[in-house]
Amino acid sequence: MPTPHQARHFLEIRKPVSRPQAILSAFGIWAVFFGIWSVAAHSGWVNALLVPPPDQVFATTWDLFASRGFASDVLISITRVLVSFAMACAVAIPLGVMMGTFPSVEAIFNPFVGAWRYLPAPSFIPILLMWFGTGEAPKLALLFIGVVFFLITLVMDHTKNVRKELIETALTLGASRQVTVMQVVFPAALPDIFTAMRQMLAMAWTYLVIAEIVASTTGIGAMMMRARRFLKTDEILSGIIVIGALGLFFDLAFGRLHRWLFPYRKETR
Amino acid sequence: MSEALLHLDAVSKVFPISGGESVQAVDHVTFDVEENRICVLLGPSGCGKSTILRMIAGLEAPSDGAVTLHGKPVIGPARDRGMVFQAYTSFDWLSVRRNVEFGMKVNGVPHAERRERAAHFIDLVGLTKFAEAYPSQLSGGMRQRVAIARTLANGPELLLMDEPFGALDAETRWHMQELMIDIARQENTTMVIVTHDIEEAIFLADKIIFLSSHPGRLKEVIVPEFKHGARIDDKEHIVQLPGYAELEQKIMRLMREEGSREEQ
Repeated sequence: MPTPHQARHFLEIRKPVSRPQAILSAFGIWAVFFGIWSVAAHSGWVNALLVPPPDQVFATTWDLFASRGFASDVLISITRVLVSFAMACAVAIPLGVMMGTFPSVEAIFNPFVGAWRYLPAPSFIPILLMWFGTGEAPKLALLFIGVVFFLITLVMDHTKNVRKELIETALTLGASRQVTVMQVVFPAALPDIFTAMRQMLAMAWTYLVIAEIVASTTGIGAMMMRARRFLKTDEILSGIIVIGALGLFFDLAFGRLHRWLFPYRKETR
Repeated sequence: MSEALLHLDAVSKVFPISGGESVQAVDHVTFDVEENRICVLLGPSGCGKSTILRMIAGLEAPSDGAVTLHGKPVIGPARDRGMVFQAYTSFDWLSVRRNVEFGMKVNGVPHAERRERAAHFIDLVGLTKFAEAYPSQLSGGMRQRVAIARTLANGPELLLMDEPFGALDAETRWHMQELMIDIARQENTTMVIVTHDIEEAIFLADKIIFLSSHPGRLKEVIVPEFKHGARIDDKEHIVQLPGYAELEQKIMRLMREEGSREEQ
């Protein structure tokens, strides 16, 4: 017989849950969500035209991929995200590391970068369309603007967090300034920079959808806007599910990559 | 007779503080460090001992006076003056062996020689079994041993240590102090060690530079005569030697005088 104070309550303050309980809980909440959705749609509580049942949405998702060439839209969207994100990283990482290392460089760029962060990227859409027309360029530019300034600031902050003693150790070992930045400051900040990239990639997906909804004939967002015109709510919901799945996939992939690249960091997730 | 390797000539340091004011951290400090000797900078907090060490390392420039190594003025950090900090400075992304090789690598020491020297110094600090481990897998004391091996493997003329064992528990600190005596004997290393621990100072020092606080001034140069120029590598043994207790009391009195002066 367990004594009363050993009995475990469901609500234990900050006691970790077991893995089976965690899995059960996670599945449970989704089961409830799809359950309510399914019942609401099938029983006619809601207009089935506006809220098609989940099974229909999944069937449509399959059909979109299998026979209506949705894969090419998805591929276009992924390419846009990755290309623009790579461009943003190519600018933000070197610049952020420089700004975080050299106060003189920070003094030049921080007043500039800091101001740009407060300009919402979508406000540039009209002018980007005028400058770049309707091709790939305005979409890539929007994603780039949306990501690069935040990424610069995050990289700078993470670089500043590299402890002074590490830098001074390198200098007293006879490392030049260049070697110190490349072989001590950068690798020391890299795990955190990688985490910042992971967060910013999620933001890139947000801007992608905005770009494709506003000004595109291809990509997941454009497919959803086409579907809206023909009242195909199941296709719109399919688009949302695919975007969510892609976001989740990239986030998990980044998490895996982080653990693989930085095994000395004992971090969960 | 050993000759002076390092010479501080009337070294002062003034730090600007907010509001256009400034504070004098170090005030005309002069002393020598002879080759193959262990010199300990001791004093109450605020005596500028860490600042003096940082000026020797070249991480701070003196406001006045000069630091010279072999008669040449120190300008900036360089490999001839290796530094071990109180905070852990392991490069977490490198294995123990590659941490120890780091200085040699950036200074262009050939691969084979690098390997050999690293192995020697890793062995010297007793970490051979952990050569391929990452620092995050090691205890605090082991990490400080990595830092010591990394600095020594780089072949500095002077090993500078800023309260290197301050973050360690008592037993580990004791082992580390004995290790330093071992290293000094085997490698003929010249050391300047900053501490506020009187026991540590007496155990390690061939010469103690005692500093007073606010501003940091040289108060007394103390040579632990009771050791008769020998190094005792056993802490239990040293405290029983005649003369140890007297010296400890003398230094405690100096510390207390400084403390009461502070309060006035």
